[in-house]
Parts: sequence; structure tokens; C-alpha cells
Amino acid sequence: MSDLSSLIFQTLVFPGGLFLLTLGLLLKGVERRLRARLQRRVGPPLLQPFFDLLKLMRKDTSIPQDAPAPLFKLMPFVAACSMTVAAVMIPIAGVHAAPSALGDLVVLFYLLAVPAIALMLAGSGSGSPYGAIGFSRELSIMMAYEAPILLVLLSVAIRVGRAQGGFIALSLNDIVSYQQAHGAFLFDPRMWPALAAFLLFFPANLGIVPFDIPEAESEVLEGPLLEYSGPLLGVFKMMSAMKAGVVVSLGIALFYPNAPAGALGLLCFVLKCLVVSAIGTAVLRASMGRMRIDQAFRFLIQWPGLLGLASLAAVLWRS
Amino acid sequence: MDAMTSSSILALTGAVLLIIGELAALAKMRNVLHAMLLATVAECGFVLMGFGLHTAAGWAGAFLHLAYQLVMRGLVFLALAVLIRKAGSSRLDRLAGSWQREPFVALAFGFGLFSVMGLSPFKGSFSKFLVLYAAVETGHWALASAGTVASIIAAAYNVYIIQRICFEQTSSTESVRWKLNWSPSTFGILALSALTIQMSLFPQALLRVATSLASRCPGIVPEYESPWSFLVLLPYAGGFALFAMGLVSARLRNFAAVALAAATLYLAWHQTADAASWLCAVLFAGICFVVVLYSTSYITGRFSNRYFFLLFLMLGSLLGVATERQFGNFYVFWELMTWSSYLLVIHEQTQDALRAGLKYFLMCTSGAYVMHLGILVLHAHLGTFDMAAIAANAAHLTPAVATIVALLFMAGFSVKAGLFPLHSWLPDAHPVAPSSISGPMSGIVTKAGVFGLLKILYLILGAATLSSSFFAGWPNLPTFLLGASGVITLLFGEAMAYRQTHIKRMLAYSTLAQVGEIVAVLSLGTYIGVTASMYHVINHAIMKTVLFLAAGALILRTHQYSIDGLKGAGRKLPLESICFSIAALSISGLPPFGGFFSKFALIYASVQSGHLLLAAVMLFGGVLAAIYYSRVIRLLFFATYEGPELSAAPFTMRLSILMLTALVMLAGVFPNFALGYAKSVADVVAVSSGIPVTPVPSLQLLWPACAIIAFAGAILAYFVGKRSTVAAGSVAVASMAIALAAILLRSNRFDLLSYWFAALIAAVGCVNLLYSIGYLRHSHAHSRYYFLFVSMIGGLLGMVASNDFLSFFAFWEIMSSWTLYFLIIHEETPDAIVEGTKYFVFNVVGASFMFLGIAMLCTRAGTFRLDLIASSVGNMPAAWVIGAVSAIVAGMLMKAAVLPVRIDVQMHPPTAPTPVSGYISAVLLKSGVYGVLKLTAAFGGALVLCKLGRITGIDTLQYVVAVIAAITMLYAGAMAVIQTGIKRLLIYSTVSQIGYMLLGVSLGSSLGVAGGLFHLVNHMLLKNTLFLCAGCILAQAHVHSLDELGGLAKRMPITFSCFLLSGLSISGVPPFNGFSSKWLIYEAALQSNHYFLAMSALISSLFTLAAVLKFAHAAFMGQPSPASASMTEAPASMLLPIGLLTAVSVVISVVPGLVLVPIMHIQTALGLPAISATWTGSLPGANAWSPAAMFALMAVLALVSTIYLRLCNRTTVCTRLYTSGAIDFDLRQAQTGAANLYEQPNTLVRHALRVHEEEEQHV
Repeated sequence: MSDLSSLIFQTLVFPGGLFLLTLGLLLKGVERRLRARLQRRVGPPLLQPFFDLLKLMRKDTSIPQDAPAPLFKLMPFVAACSMTVAAVMIPIAGVHAAPSALGDLVVLFYLLAVPAIALMLAGSGSGSPYGAIGFSRELSIMMAYEAPILLVLLSVAIRVGRAQGGFIALSLNDIVSYQQAHGAFLFDPRMWPALAAFLLFFPANLGIVPFDIPEAESEVLEGPLLEYSGPLLGVFKMMSAMKAGVVVSLGIALFYPNAPAGALGLLCFVLKCLVVSAIGTAVLRASMGRMRIDQAFRFLIQWPGLLGLASLAAVLWRS
Repeated sequence: MDAMTSSSILALTGAVLLIIGELAALAKMRNVLHAMLLATVAECGFVLMGFGLHTAAGWAGAFLHLAYQLVMRGLVFLALAVLIRKAGSSRLDRLAGSWQREPFVALAFGFGLFSVMGLSPFKGSFSKFLVLYAAVETGHWALASAGTVASIIAAAYNVYIIQRICFEQTSSTESVRWKLNWSPSTFGILALSALTIQMSLFPQALLRVATSLASRCPGIVPEYESPWSFLVLLPYAGGFALFAMGLVSARLRNFAAVALAAATLYLAWHQTADAASWLCAVLFAGICFVVVLYSTSYITGRFSNRYFFLLFLMLGSLLGVATERQFGNFYVFWELMTWSSYLLVIHEQTQDALRAGLKYFLMCTSGAYVMHLGILVLHAHLGTFDMAAIAANAAHLTPAVATIVALLFMAGFSVKAGLFPLHSWLPDAHPVAPSSISGPMSGIVTKAGVFGLLKILYLILGAATLSSSFFAGWPNLPTFLLGASGVITLLFGEAMAYRQTHIKRMLAYSTLAQVGEIVAVLSLGTYIGVTASMYHVINHAIMKTVLFLAAGALILRTHQYSIDGLKGAGRKLPLESICFSIAALSISGLPPFGGFFSKFALIYASVQSGHLLLAAVMLFGGVLAAIYYSRVIRLLFFATYEGPELSAAPFTMRLSILMLTALVMLAGVFPNFALGYAKSVADVVAVSSGIPVTPVPSLQLLWPACAIIAFAGAILAYFVGKRSTVAAGSVAVASMAIALAAILLRSNRFDLLSYWFAALIAAVGCVNLLYSIGYLRHSHAHSRYYFLFVSMIGGLLGMVASNDFLSFFAFWEIMSSWTLYFLIIHEETPDAIVEGTKYFVFNVVGASFMFLGIAMLCTRAGTFRLDLIASSVGNMPAAWVIGAVSAIVAGMLMKAAVLPVRIDVQMHPPTAPTPVSGYISAVLLKSGVYGVLKLTAAFGGALVLCKLGRITGIDTLQYVVAVIAAITMLYAGAMAVIQTGIKRLLIYSTVSQIGYMLLGVSLGSSLGVAGGLFHLVNHMLLKNTLFLCAGCILAQAHVHSLDELGGLAKRMPITFSCFLLSGLSISGVPPFNGFSSKWLIYEAALQSNHYFLAMSALISSLFTLAAVLKFAHAAFMGQPSPASASMTEAPASMLLPIGLLTAVSVVISVVPGLVLVPIMHIQTALGLPAISATWTGSLPGANAWSPAAMFALMAVLALVSTIYLRLCNRTTVCTRLYTSGAIDFDLRQAQTGAANLYEQPNTLVRHALRVHEEEEQHV
């Protein structure tokens, strides 16, 4: 029973829930500010995402007349909740170990897809033509990046598993502790193809330029989100912030989890997040244009795919 | 010396005269008088030959011939003179149809001419044969052959002339006046006829005179004739009596005929003869009894008297052929059988009938003449016509003589049996004969040939003689030829039958094929081979007679001879058509009818003697047969009838068809009954030819209680359905519930895996049948639907309950052949029929593979029982085991639709009624997975593994299966993504999911097998839900494409919720049950080092997701289409099953232990490594996670979400969609259709799989 209550705490407060939400929104604020600076603008205050959220909570909920209302209302929550659970499944070196009751890398892989599925259903369910286009695009992109990211995850797991004398280590805790003992994969050239593939996956999964095609504002008016407003839109915004946190922390766990224990470790973690997310995202956003869906599909199939295969080969070779 | 030379010259002159004379007569046939004169001259050749050969037989023959010819030719010439006078010319063209002017004289002419040829009901002359005997005796083979050839030539023109004069109809208006014209010539004709009859009936006086005249020559006169047995005399004399009776009253005659036939049957049953003769006699008498009964109402009109007369003559001769122990009489009966059946074939006297009859008569008589030579050779060498004496001394024959005798006999018998290349009369004669004659012609007359072959090869000459081969080192020539011609006949017959459009022609060619099978297996010469072929003789006699009689009834009422012409006749003449269908299924070798078992025995026999190729050929033939027979059944029942109203066939016809059909069915329920008789024949053969006796296994199926309940329920539902459709559905559901109870109560009957599978089969059956009640409200043919559906489930239950291979295979066939086929084409649309037929053929082919493999294992082990086979697998050669197991597994994989070649053909068609589609996807296809697992467990572990070797940790065969499964997963998954057809999309997804199950099971580890089985259960619930949800839509409108739908989520919220939940679950979205089972499979593959198999599984779930979302989007979201605008939620009787299935899914999602604990027990019971699972615990495995915990978190998060919504502004407004400011347009136009989704992945899949746009357009 104490297991369950600690699980609930982890989900609601730390490292999921509140912590994740705060971290995600903060990263968003920093990123927006930084991007403005790169574009020689002043930019909003760091807490602007929090204000936006509060503003959305006070607005009316609007539901399109042809949409199935229960589905339309449910989907944002499904998306957001899946991310809080996912956050619990990713260990933070020295601070948080993933509880085994929630599963391993395979479960996480599928859980990461849930927000996209929810978004697609939301877009499709809204009945809007823009939503449908967004849905179709989202799925296309997803089909392109899922195989490469799978290769990356498997490469890392196999690398650790073989080093430990088995076939594969599907527990993220094992992966983190192995790196803490033997050095981060970030500095291991054999793992660089995997890292590169992950870095390409990162903007695609988060819908960041140049892969923000499903929600492209100037083409399909935010696609699946077009019909959402008020509190429900707020939930999607929260989800989006949390997802950024989850994906970044997954990257950290996979490639550079090394950190001291305790509060210092937490600080390290937040700093890493800031570096990867805020800076990386801001630079991308400020400097890139959007790809067309066909270009993106081909690009994502090709490059991360090849890199993923290369990383698997690198791992399987002589180990 | 001089005398010898001169006599030789005399004989030679005679032979030359004979041949030239007959040839000249043949050439001068156009003028009857000339032909007859030339023939008379030719006959003198026989006399010269007889004198010239200078033996007692020769002289006696010559004298007798003189006397016979004098009287019979006299009769012919006298009658001819009268006819010529009447016609005013001796030209055949003018004489043709004389019988219509002078019936009596024409009759006398025909009688005389037949007598001259030695063919008439009065045994005719055998003077010729004495002469030929003399030639054989003295070793003048050329002379004997010349005599035979001359007889054949004579037969040709004689029969032609008889046909034209006595049977050809030149004027249809002229009524025949049977009135004697009392003139001197009439008296002469009567006198000569009487003399001919007297000479035939009492030949002793004349024979004594001839013998005494010949007594100064050396040699003996063979005792050709012997007294007839009472069994033969009864129908013979009865025939004459019936004819007389018929002149008084047709009713009286009919009664008497039935009584006489019954009496004959009684006599045949109680006679004492060897088993072979007894069996044949009973078969002949039995079939004839039914045919007589049938004929009493089928044959009416002016020639009915003649018909019954000839029918009983034929019966008498058949019984004679069967029981005779002297070759002399045997030959007489043989000829009389040909003669009487010939006259029956031309009963209708149409041009076609006469042409076909001529061919029949000439071929059979020629064959008989050749066979007769063989009889004479035997007598010349062994000095007797007595079969027993010949059999006893057969060993004294030199191999050369024995072979020649065998070949001569084979010529005669093969013609009768219709063996290639002597078959060509058969397909011509059958269609033109009355159906009541085609039936016994196919059913028993051809069997007389088979019986003759058996007799001569195995009972008389015996294996001992024949096994001393003619050429050392070569296969024994007669049996080799027999086997080869059997195989060719089989293939030729099936191929030709396949191409026919005339129903009786098709049946005739099918007879060829069946006889080919029988003979081919007979030629193997093994104990089981003889048993099997005799067994098939019995079954085929019954089945083919039913087919012809039923076809006759159909033709009688519809007046249609072409198969297409019988369209829809099944609705108007149900009894006749159902009987036809049962016999057709039986003859195609489908259970549970008699034909299946004899077919099984045939295959078993050929595999047992190592002739795998023969077995394969028979299986191939079986596939063709299944195709063309099912085509007829389909046309009878699944097409609309266009034509006048029809009344049922007369009572006695229906009664006789029904009686034989009952036999066909009984032969299926109690197969050992007929098998016992067949075995007793083989015993006789074994004794007389020294074949080693090998045990013949019992073919009795083990009918489990649940299957019996299901079949009984099916039949009950059929009859109830004629009155009330809802009641029929209720009966079906109730019977399935009782079957489920029977399974649960008698759990000790099953092994654990089968127990649970059976329970699921029955439970899901209940659900889908319940759903059907609502679904079928606006459909048709409810009786048929419930009957077939419940029977199919019964087949599944029987298969699962079986613990021997025979029952397993028989029930497998019931479940996957005809019940399935006719259920799938229930809708009767052209699409449904085309697709359903493809699937049917595919299933039959798959079953054939399995059949071969099973036969291979069973013959080597000598038993059908799985456990005994498993223990003897170790003693079999490795290649044999690998071949057998591969064939069986291939069959099972084909059932599961997972061989990655043309999956679109292998998978079940979307045109089936939706509850059936759901059931097939959910349950039926799993039988493949179940079978593989059962097989792995039965032959488990070490035994097969040591034979097959291992790759990467699992055994080779399993590895192959795993790779196939992975390819299937990806291929079918990708295909599902690009589909737009409502059900086609779901079916592709099913195939993909079955790939998961097979992957799991074939990995063989505890996690893998558990995952496979868990996914099997989950898929059963989830995919069934998806299909039933689709059914809720399809029941309201006949739509095929997703693009025809839209906006249904608001109209059918319950259906939508269930669909979405099940769809996401089957796509592997955590934390639902579909994900749990897939997770086990992923883990099993990953942790056993099979990364690429795991990758395939992981990626394929994405495909499923895409397909499910596409379905959800196109059908449920957006604006309603014209078709869906009027749709509403389905009635409660349909929603209840869906809700039930979804609820169970949800419960299993939260508490997977409910399924995993039984699986753990199953694994332990099967002797496989077992997972450790608890009722409420987490999933098994290294990184076990707990769905319960996940759901608990979900509950907490739901609470938090509710709080969030409470904190927010709670005003809700309903908005119009944003359309960039455009107001005046139809939103439906802006809808993204199913075909337009996922453009890039679609293109990629199409490109990669080379699928073209138009291919998936249909349905």
C-alpha cells in the first residue's frame, strides 16, 4: 500500500505532476525569452506560460456542435496524464529511481505515443477539416520517427544488456546506473549515431520547427487544436510543456545521466534540461523554416533511420 | 503330315474368309441385304476354321455353328425379307425406323441378329467360342485373334443395323400398332424364333450330336455352360413375368417389380458365397432395389414394360457376374449385362442416345471378346473353367502366360470400369441414359469392372503368380499398368468433370475419377489398399447413385440439363437438392459423410505403402472435385430461381433418394460398418494371394458431447427456423449455452489447453449467435444461417475435443470446408460468391496439406492417437517426420492465413455476414495457432527437436514459423493501413494480430507462449468487438467503403465507445489488455535475442493503430454522410454482446491474472516452461509491471482532472466549426476521406508492397 501511495506522490508531485509541469512551463518561458533575444525582440516575461494557463482556465469551454463531446473533453486529459506517468518512469540520477510497477522501456515507448494519439483523436473528433489534416499529418510523421527511435532505445538497452552479460537491459534504472559506473554514453563514440538519431527524433516528437507540420499555424491553423479553447486548450498546453520535459529527461537518462546525488543532482538535471531544451529549441525555432509534410516524412525515414541502424550495428558489433 | 498341312490351310482359308467377309459386310452396311449375305459368307469362315483346326472342340464348334447359323440367320433373313418388302428397298436408309411400321418383325429381326452375335436373353450361341478354343488349344494364336477381331467387326455393323431398323425414330406422328399380321412369313418367323429360344434354353441335345460327330478328332469339348443359380434366375424369370404383367396393368407391374427387387436383395443377403462375391451381390441388389423403387414413378410411358424387363435382366446378369464360379457362365453374364444395359442406355431412342449406345456397346463387347480369349487361354492351360480350380493351379502358369491372361482380362474389365484409355463410352452414355440407369451404371456397372479386376488379379491369378514379374527387375506389368491408368483416369476425370456444363456429364466424369482412385489404390496390392478400394467401392456406389437419382429428379421437374439451368432449384425442390448436396459433399471427401472416410482410407493406404505421389494426386483431384461439386450446390441454393413454379418429385423417387442419402449419412456416423465388409474382402484376398495382413485402424470418430449438442441444436434450429426466425436464433444460442455447460461439466475429457479453448469457442459462439438475432432481422434464409453457423462451431468443438488425428482432421474439415463456405456466401451477392469460393478452395488446399502430413504420421505409427504417435515419432526416419510435421504446420498456417503470399486470397472474405466475420477472426482462425501449439506440445520437446536441429535457441521449424509470423505481421499490418473497405481493413488487421500470436507461440519460451495465448484471448474479445461494432453499421445499410460513412459517433455513442476502446487496446495502447499481451511477446522476443522479430512486432502495432484511427475517423467523426444520416444505435440484443465483450476486456485489462493464471496451468500441463502469475498480481517477466497500479494511477489522475475542471470556468458553449469565414458550403465536402488520410505512408506502403490502386477498390 505504501508502494501505491509513494507512486501516487511521484505521479502528482515529483518527478511527475507539479514538478514536471513547473519545469516544462519554465523551460517554455526561458525558450520564448531566448528566442525573442535571438530575433532581437524583448520577449515575454519568464512566467508568461503560467499566466497564459491561468487566463485559459478562466475562459469558456467551447465544443463544436458535431463533435462527440465526451471524446472531445477527454482527450486533453488523456494526453496530459500519460505524460505525468511517463515522467515517473524516467529515473533522475541520484534523485529518483523508476518504480518497477510502471514498467520498462517498452511501456515507456508506447506511453510516449499516447499524447500524439490523443491529439489525433481530438483533431479528428473535432470535425474540423483542419483537424483532420493535422491528424493525418501527425500520424504520418509518427510512422516515420517511431522506427528510428525504437532502434535508438534498443541500441542503448542492448549495449547495457550485453555489457552486463545478458541480451538486453530494458530497465532505465539499469541504463542509468551503468552509465554512472562506466561513464556517460555521450562521450562514447560508438553511441554517437544513436545520439544523433535521438536529436533528430526530439523536435519531431515535440512538434518543433522544422517538424511542426501537424499543428502548422500558418497552414492549418494549429490543426487538431483549432477548435479547442479555454480550460481544455490549457490542458493541451500543459501536456505540451510536460512532454518537452519528459522527452528531454529521457534523452538525459539515455545519454548523460551522470550527476551527484541529492539536491545537487536535481540542480544538474534542471540545468541539463535548460541547456538541451531551452537553448536547443530556441535556436531551432529561431533559425529554421518549416518542412513540407512529404519532405519531413522522407527526411525522418531516411536519416534517423540510417542513424538508428548504424547505432544498432555499432552496438552489436564486437559486443 | 499331309492331312495336318491341308487342315491348317483350311483353317487359314477360313480365317481369311472370315476377316475379308466381315470387312466387306462392314463396307456394304448401307445395303442390309448385301451386308447380311456377305456376313453369312464370313460365318462360313468360322466353320472352315473349326474343321481345319481338327480338334474335337473345333469340329463340334463347326457343326454347332452350322446349325445355329442356319436357324438364326434364317430368322434374320426371313424377317429382313418382310421388312424389305414393306420398305420397298433393301437400303438401310429406307429400312431405318422399320419398327414403327412392323414392330413384331423388327423385333424378330433384332432378336435374330443379336442371337447371331451370341447376345440375347436366351444365352445365345457359343459355337464360335468352341472354334476359338480349338485355335487357342492348338496354339494358333493368330487364328484366335482373327476370330476375335472378326467378331468385333461383326458387332460393329450388326449393332448399327439393329439400331437403325429397330430403334431409330424416323416419324414421330405414326403410332406403333402392335398387331400380328397372320401370313405364312409370320408363321415362319415365329417358328424360327421358337427354335432359337429352344436351342438356347436346351442346348444339350444339339451339343450331344455335335460332340458325337466330332468324337473322332483329338482333344476334348469344354463344358462351357453350367446351371444357373436361383439368385440369378429369380430376377431373370421375374423380368419376363413383369413384362407379361405390364401388358395387363402398370400398377400391378410396379408393385411386383418392387417386391421382386426386395426378394432378390433378401436372397443376395442370405446367399453363401465368398466375401467378395457376397459384397458385390448385395451392393448390386441393394442399389437396384432403390433404382426399381425410383423407376416406378420415373419411368412411365410406352416403353416402361421393356424398361423393367431389361432392368431385371441387368440385375440378374450383374448378380451372375458377382456370384458365378464358372468362367463359362461368367462370360455369358458379362455379355448379357452389357446387352441389357446397352438397351437401357438407348431407352429414350433419341439420336444422341443411339450414338452413345452404339459406342458403349461396341467398346464393351469388344473388350469382352478380348477377355474371352483370356478365358480360353486359361482353359487351354489348366483344362477347366472353374474359378476355384484355376486359382488353385494358377501357380503352374508361366509368368508370361499369367501376364498375358491378366492383360486380356484387364482389357475387358477396364472398358467396363471406364479406365483410361478405354473410358470414352462412359461420359457419352451417362448423359443420354435415363437417370435411373445412369445411377446404377456409374454406381455398380463400373464396379463390376473393378470387381472383375480384383477377382482376376488377386483372387484367381493371385499375387504369387503376378509377383513373379514378366521382366526381371521391372514392376509387375499388369498392376503397374493398372496403377498408371488409374492415376491418369483420376486426373483426366477430375479435370474433365471440372470443365463440364452438363450436370450428368459432370457426374459421369466424376465417376471416371473415382474409379481411377479405386483402381490406383487397388493396384498397390496391399491389404489396406484392397480394403480401402473396396470401401470406396461401397461408398461410391451409394453416393453416385444418389447424385444421379437426385439429378434425375431435378431434371425431371426443371427440364434443365445444364448446371447453370438448375440455378436456384434448391429453393423449389429442397429435399432433392439437399440430398444431392449431401452426396456431393460426401463424394468430395468432406466429413461427416461416408465419402470422407473411404477417401481417408484411400489416402491412408497409398501413404502406408509409401506412394506419397499417389496420395498427392488424389488430394489434388479431391480439390478439383470439391470445386466443381460445390459449384453445383452453390447454384442450387445460392442463386435466385427464375422459372415456372415447380412441384416436388413423385413420392417413390423422393423416398428412394432419401433412403440412399440416409445411408450416406449413416456411413459417416458409423464408418466401421462398411469398412468391416471391405475388410472381409481383403481377408479373402489375403488368403488367396498371400498378402500380409496389416491391421486396419478403426475409422470411428469420437463425437464429444458438446459437438453432438451443437449438431443437434443446428438441426433443430434449421427446422424451427422455417417457422420463426427469432426462435431459431434462440434455439441456436440455447444449444450453444448447453454445449458450453457440457464442456464446463466434463472438464476431465479435455486437456487443459483444449478445455479453455473449447470454453471460449462456445462462449464466443453464444455471444455471436445472440448478436445474429438482431443482425439478421432484415436478412433471409435464417434456417440455413443458424444451421451452418452452429454446425461450424460444432466442428470446432469436435476438433478441440479430439485426442486422435482422425477426429481432429475430420472435425477440422467440418469446421473449415462446407459449413464455412456456405456461411460465408450467405449474402448470395456475386462478390460474396467469388470471394467465398476463393477462400473455400484455399481452405481445401490447406486441409489437403494437413491430410497428407497426418496420413504420413499415422501410417508409420499405426495409430491415430496423438499420445501414441508422439511416443513413436522417435522411431521414424527424420526426413519422414520433418515432411509430415511441415505439411501439417503448413496446413495450420494456411488456416491462420499467415503464409505471406497473397494474403488477400488467404484471409476470410469481407463479404461474409458480419457476426460470422467476427467469429472467424475471433475464434476460427485461432484453430491454426491452437493446432500448432497442440502439436508442439504433443510431439514436444526432445522428440521433434532432436530430429530438426536448432537455430538461435529455438528449433528450426519453430524459427521458420516465427519468421513467417513476423513477415505476416508487417505485411498484413501495412496492408491494413491502406485499406478503405470497412471489413477488409479489420480482416487485414486480424491477420496481422494472428502473426503476433504465432510469433509468441513459436518462440516457445514461457513468456512467448503465455503472450501468444494471452493475445489469442484478447484478440478474441477485441477483434470480435470491432467486427460487431462494424456490424451495427452494416446492418443498417449496405455500405462497403469507409468513405460512405461519417459522423456516427454522435448517433451511435455506445457503439463508438466500445469500438474506440477495443481499437486502441488492440493497437497496443497501454495500459489495456491488448497492450499487456503484446508486451509479453515483445519481451519474449527481445530477451531471447530476436531483435528483428521484436522490431517487427513493435512497428506492426503502429500499423494497427493507423488502421484503427482511420476507421474511427472516417466512420465516426465529422459530418454524417447520406448513408449514415439515418443511422441510429443498434437494438439492445446487438449492443448487449458488444457491451459484454468490452466489459470483459476492461476487466482483463485491470486484472490480467484472470487469463494468465489459467495460461500458467496450461503451460504446466503441456510440459512447457511456465510463467509465474497470480490472480491479482502484475504481469510476469523480468521487468514485470502492474496494470492494476497503472489503473490506480489513472483513477487518481481522473480525480485530479475533475478537480481541475471544477477550478475552471464551467461555462460551455456550442460552436460552429471554423471554416475560414466561408458560410455557404456543405461541410461534408471538406471532410477528409479515408482514402485521403496518411498520404505519405500510404504511398510508401503501396510502393514497397507493389499494391496498385485498383486492387483494393473492390469491396
